Amino acid sequence: MTMPAIQVSQLSKTYVVPEREAGLSAAFKSLIHRKTREVKAVDQISFTVDEGEIVGFLGPNGAGKTTSLKMLSGLLYPTSGEAHVLGHIPSKRHRDFLSDITLVMGQRNQLVWDIPVIDSLERNRAVYRVPRSDYQSTIDELTELLDLGELLQKPVRNLSLGERMKCEIAAALLHRPSVLFLDEPTIGLDVTMQRRIREFISAYNREHGAAVLLTSHYMADVEALCDRVIVIHHGRVLFDGPLTDLVARFSPHKTIQIELDTESADLSEYGDVVEQEGARYKISVDKAVTPEVTGRLLADLPVIDLTVEDPPIENVIEQVFSSENAES
Amino acid sequence: MRIGILNELAYRMNFLVQLLQSGMSLLTALVGFLVVFSHTETLGDWRPNDILALLGVYLIVGGLVGLLIRPSMSRLMEDVREGTLDYTLTKPEDAQFLVSIAQVRIWKLTDFVLGSIVLGYALFNRGLDVGFDETIAFAVTLTCGGAIVYSFFLILSTLSFWFIRIDNILVIFDAMYQAGRWPIGLYPYWLKFVLTFIVPIAFAITVPAEGLIGRLDAQTLGLDIGVATLMIAVSRLFWRYGLRNYSGASA
Amino acid sequence: MLSIYLAYLKTSIAVMFQYRASMLIWMIWRVIEPIIYLVVWTAVAKSRGGEVGGYTPGTFAAYYIVLMIVQQYTFTWIMHEYEWRVRSGTLSAVLLKPIHPIHSDIADNIGYKVLMTVIIFPAALFIGLLFAPVFTFHADLFILFLLAVVLSYVMRFFIEWALALVAFWTTRNEAFNQVYFLLGLFLTGRIAPLGLLPDWLREVGDALPFQWMLAFPVELLLGRLTNGEIAHGLTMQVLWLVFSFGLHRIVWWRGVRKYSAVGA
Repeated sequence: MTMPAIQVSQLSKTYVVPEREAGLSAAFKSLIHRKTREVKAVDQISFTVDEGEIVGFLGPNGAGKTTSLKMLSGLLYPTSGEAHVLGHIPSKRHRDFLSDITLVMGQRNQLVWDIPVIDSLERNRAVYRVPRSDYQSTIDELTELLDLGELLQKPVRNLSLGERMKCEIAAALLHRPSVLFLDEPTIGLDVTMQRRIREFISAYNREHGAAVLLTSHYMADVEALCDRVIVIHHGRVLFDGPLTDLVARFSPHKTIQIELDTESADLSEYGDVVEQEGARYKISVDKAVTPEVTGRLLADLPVIDLTVEDPPIENVIEQVFSSENAES
Repeated sequence: MRIGILNELAYRMNFLVQLLQSGMSLLTALVGFLVVFSHTETLGDWRPNDILALLGVYLIVGGLVGLLIRPSMSRLMEDVREGTLDYTLTKPEDAQFLVSIAQVRIWKLTDFVLGSIVLGYALFNRGLDVGFDETIAFAVTLTCGGAIVYSFFLILSTLSFWFIRIDNILVIFDAMYQAGRWPIGLYPYWLKFVLTFIVPIAFAITVPAEGLIGRLDAQTLGLDIGVATLMIAVSRLFWRYGLRNYSGASA
Repeated sequence: MLSIYLAYLKTSIAVMFQYRASMLIWMIWRVIEPIIYLVVWTAVAKSRGGEVGGYTPGTFAAYYIVLMIVQQYTFTWIMHEYEWRVRSGTLSAVLLKPIHPIHSDIADNIGYKVLMTVIIFPAALFIGLLFAPVFTFHADLFILFLLAVVLSYVMRFFIEWALALVAFWTTRNEAFNQVYFLLGLFLTGRIAPLGLLPDWLREVGDALPFQWMLAFPVELLLGRLTNGEIAHGLTMQVLWLVFSFGLHRIVWWRGVRKYSAVGA
């Protein structure tokens, strides 16, 4: 039996934040005596990630995603609970542990701003004690997968956002870590660049069997990469399972898109008309009756085109959070 | 969240930090003053209270420069770098006037206040011998000094139209400014020249202090007024020249 | 480890080379300060008939030239660096590396010193030509002087590195840094040779490490110290070195715990 790459049980993080009142006197008072209050950023989460798995970590801003990633990479000390990554306790920040993981977060972590990218890579090679022979083959591999080419010779400050991200990722993976924590790896990039990075993550995962835990606001990333998602909200795990299950569980509706030869049809008897654009209509219907409604539409109306879709994953996620809010 | 809280407090903290900084630099100056005058009664031909008055002027002028001139000029350099100067240039008002009053750093008043206290104390110790002539001389030389320093900064800032990364050059001014805490006359000839005509510390500090304590001769006063007039004119012309160059480049 | 240092040195020198103009400008700052005090003390000596506290204008010039060089080789900017690191959040990246961050700081510092060597000696020569210093050179003192400078550098590095970590506890540590620099200004011998300071200030200095950073190596080289004073000074340097080494270990350990408790 192999041990999971990441194992988390009952992990919590509580921040103590100072509370302030407005006004000058209050500010001076607070210099002497601070009122504080506790904020639960992560509240008893448990999950495991196996070797070779890519797991999407979803949730709105402030849900506790970044805090969790920081705890798993050893930057933050958990308030309670346990985490094991590759058999190590992250907060001990053991050298072997740090040498076998990577955290990509934001754009200015790995690279030295003023010098060519290749020099930063060389620096990382020394720090991570990557043998020269491995180093060259890794560089070649990364250059090909990420299409780095001439970028390596340019100073970082002359790179565009997307180019910088590619180089940042290359630097973060130079030591071929077995566990990758990626916090918004595609944020702010254009669509082509997003796809490129996505393909790269997927290829790296395939070739090295690395475990990947990634957060992203772009559902395209999640759909393309993750077989499994963990949804957290207010620091708690709301859902943990395959992406398809998430849709099935939280979205009781399907969307029927239909094109007719008329722009004035009244389709309200079949379901909620959520959108109409000329002769194109979108109707939201209950999942259970979808086949029946589809049959009726085709029988009753002069249909030119008809498709049945799951609602966009964004909407499903939104629904997950709003249902949680309604409950609490 | 942390950032938000910090921002909320930033203003008050800035004030406290500035107060501390001003206090420290005053303390440094005073202890240095005491150490020096524990070994001698005169420095060059300056008496302790003259040096103290000079220190007061040093702090007052430093405060005024930090309050009124420097923030706007730093801002101008930044605006040129970021390309946001265009907003100012589109306003229906003289651009030099607008960029010169763009920003003030109010906390620098602490230097001004501390300097005034030191100056007041020094003049009191001298027996309050400041007459009508001295007051006029001080007012005139301080105004000229201000004009010269302003023009000096404007010329430097205008250079940023050509050389984007010039903000560091202000550090040179700070370094040289330190030298003005002591009478410029003490320095060897070449340094005196640098501190007078290249970085105009002498006109900013020493000359007004001399005016106030009645050491100023007519020749220096004339030179001061002449240089101020010339600098104002030159910096104005240079600014307009730079501006033409800038508009030409960005169009 | 050596290859890591070489890689660090290579990048830090490459980075500094990008900022050569800024570095030159900062250098002016460090040359102006000793000149100011040299000028003031020369004036004092002249007003006293050419000598004060055992110094003449010529020996003052020698004192300040050597002081400038020693200051150049032993100073660190690490306290400002940490202030910036903690505020800008770049510390997290440092903590993720499987190596103690002090190594890259040491490499940066050495890299800077290497580069500055090409500027500081011409600057010293320049001041020397203008102020006519009076030197007496003893080869045996010079070797002891080198030892004292190395000790001063290592001791100073660990002290300031440990104090820089105050940034873990408060995000506005300028105040703390200011106090440190102010004390240093007087007690290292920059404003005046220590012998010219009033007694109460010297007593404060005796309890603190500052005098062993600059004043001691400088006065050693100028032949102003007795053998007993030299032995005492070297011992004090070693003691402060041991103390500051222990201090940096403890502060780092506690600082990281603190940092990882509150987050970045």
